[in-house]
Amino acid sequence: MLVRLAAERATGALLRDHGTLYLVDGRVVHAESPAAPGMDVLLTTAGRLPREGWDEAVDRAGAHRAVGRFLVDSGRLGDGELEICHLGAVFDAAFFALSPTSGPTRFRYGVGHWFGTVRPVSAEAVERETLRRRELLDAVWPYASVDTAPVVPRPAAPHQGVGARRRALLAAADGVRTPAELARHLGRPAFHTLLDVRRLAAAGLVETPLDAAPDAAPAPPAPAFPPVPPVSDPDIALLRRLRDALEAHL
Amino acid sequence: MPGIDECLTEAMTLPGARGAWLVDWNSGLALGTAGESPVGDHETTAAETAELARAAAEFDSFTVGAEGPEGDTGEPPVEDLIVTTRAGYHVLRFVRTSFDSSVFLHLWLDRDTGNLALARIRLGDLAERLVLG
Repeated sequence: MLVRLAAERATGALLRDHGTLYLVDGRVVHAESPAAPGMDVLLTTAGRLPREGWDEAVDRAGAHRAVGRFLVDSGRLGDGELEICHLGAVFDAAFFALSPTSGPTRFRYGVGHWFGTVRPVSAEAVERETLRRRELLDAVWPYASVDTAPVVPRPAAPHQGVGARRRALLAAADGVRTPAELARHLGRPAFHTLLDVRRLAAAGLVETPLDAAPDAAPAPPAPAFPPVPPVSDPDIALLRRLRDALEAHL
Repeated sequence: MPGIDECLTEAMTLPGARGAWLVDWNSGLALGTAGESPVGDHETTAAETAELARAAAEFDSFTVGAEGPEGDTGEPPVEDLIVTTRAGYHVLRFVRTSFDSSVFLHLWLDRDTGNLALARIRLGDLAERLVLG
């Protein structure tokens, strides 16, 4: 759907279960997701902007959809800072907004975002980056259970390096906060925090909850063939190869 | 105050410049690109250099004792990384921001026409101007 909207140079908001993408002329200008800290969190948590400075910018420029521009023009942020922070936030939110979901996808033509346009990105680049990020997470540690569970640190082995950023993450992990909550707490992008948590899991530095059992498969339809007599010693390797071959064809 | 594109365009005016990138080393995202890529794909180059930059930024041997003043989390402990090859130079310059970020500038220079010392100084200057409010 995103590709089609980009092709027709659509302007509006793409609403999905886990977030919203805003397009202007088919290019992505903004994204937001409940799972990802917004620009306000990123800028105020580290003390780059006082909360009042942000609120004032929204009050004065929100109606004109030019909050980003206002932050620069009023001397609160540099152009480079605005672009770095905003791009980071857009790709972060887009990662969650474009996550696979069974929910509906809707597009509201003409709807814009009050933050305004900073540095539009092609929809294709956003989609490609989102896929790359999903693969990167799985390449680091292929079990998604750590993404949503509270982060519980484990002791490091002697001389095991952790790195300053992950040390700060572990220090904030109180055994209750989830990766999304830690991201908000530290004022970091949520994807970066997920990635760090997966890296910590791979290094054995956080507890790794067992993956929830996959959803029970729906009851199979009545067999079209007469039932096969029970086999006492199934050839597991053969069955696996058979399954892989079938999946490759489907 | 330059934005990302102006900054990369300016980097490309340095003698021997072949490609320039602004990359997030934590995720591997290319925030901006200019010129050509050694492998023909800017995003691949960004993802690869991000791995190198991340190693330097995270291994304690490079960073312990090099952090900024207490409470200044934006100060990257590593200033730059230089890779020389038979055909070229790569200069990676970490960018300091006063919010949480993990970005660096990467400039690829031709070995014969590039000036490594000049590029290193100018890239440091560009990295500072990029985030000056």
